[in-house]
Amino acid sequence: MSLYALQKLIRDVNRKPACRDAYFQSAEKFAETYDLGDDERVALVSMNVGALYAMGVHGLLLRPFTLLRNMPEPDYLKAIRGE
Amino acid sequence: MPISFACAVSHAPGMTAWANAAAAAQKDRIYGGFERLRGELDSSGTEILVLLTSEHWANFFLDHMGAFCIGRAAAYRGPIEPWLQIDKAEVKGDPALAAELLETSYDEGIEPSFAYELEFDHGTMVPLHFLMPRMDRPVVPIFFNTLAEPQPTARRCLAFGQVIGQVAARSPHRIGLIATGGLSHDPGERNHGVIDTDFDQQFMSVMASGNTERLGRYSRAELAASRRRRLRAPELGRARGRACRPQGRDRRL
Repeated sequence: MSLYALQKLIRDVNRKPACRDAYFQSAEKFAETYDLGDDERVALVSMNVGALYAMGVHGLLLRPFTLLRNMPEPDYLKAIRGE
Repeated sequence: MPISFACAVSHAPGMTAWANAAAAAQKDRIYGGFERLRGELDSSGTEILVLLTSEHWANFFLDHMGAFCIGRAAAYRGPIEPWLQIDKAEVKGDPALAAELLETSYDEGIEPSFAYELEFDHGTMVPLHFLMPRMDRPVVPIFFNTLAEPQPTARRCLAFGQVIGQVAARSPHRIGLIATGGLSHDPGERNHGVIDTDFDQQFMSVMASGNTERLGRYSRAELAASRRRRLRAPELGRARGRACRPQGRDRRL
């Protein structure tokens, strides 16, 4: 399990402008700098919010992460509720 | 001196960021409540505020997570969220009171962590925006781990609160308290927006009665039961057409 690394990546993107820039330039390349499992990398790069939530990413990391992409709250809730 | 002012308020970021998304009557009720509290604070002669708030991954991560953290800085800045609709501001700290809180805590057998650098997010700035918009009193922030298990027991929180009360009572300054957070709610989680009204009313009734013995007896099992009730909330079931459960999501961090 690399939930720790996955959450660390998301927290870094949320909180550190340089990490945010690098992530938005290339999520794939940025993800290589963290010790993620294949499924985690795929979920992150494809922005599969439901999968990231199911993997255990904390809601107060995941919701601000989706706000960086202006994801509306109803869409976020649908994604994490699997609707 | 006796505690000059005390309140417990929400810090939901939508109150400033998306205020007009709420029904006008609801917004007016909330804003009116804050206005009343601001008047009480202003007329209380409070010189320094101790602000108890929730950590939201703004200052700490899982590489080092403490139960309580007392801010010792001379000044803080916030909010960190550009979308909060609150202007960035500097809030003065009070290192002397922070040191007194720390030393007394250690003397009483409680060892909070401390930090000379902390950033304020909505958890601190929303209450200050409503209650002290001129940011003209020093603030000692105390951050609680509300994110990752294990978390302090109710008994431990009560004991820590009694230490804060002890420090305020013997201070030559008029010290006010703002506690902020939520009761039964899970922001960002599946049951986001669902509250266990019965639990909240019962808890607030115990607080209002001053029954500290009962407050200290809230167990992890009782708090977990409220969370389970929210996960089975009918509004979620209707929305999803099936019971809403964690489905194997491992929240043990």
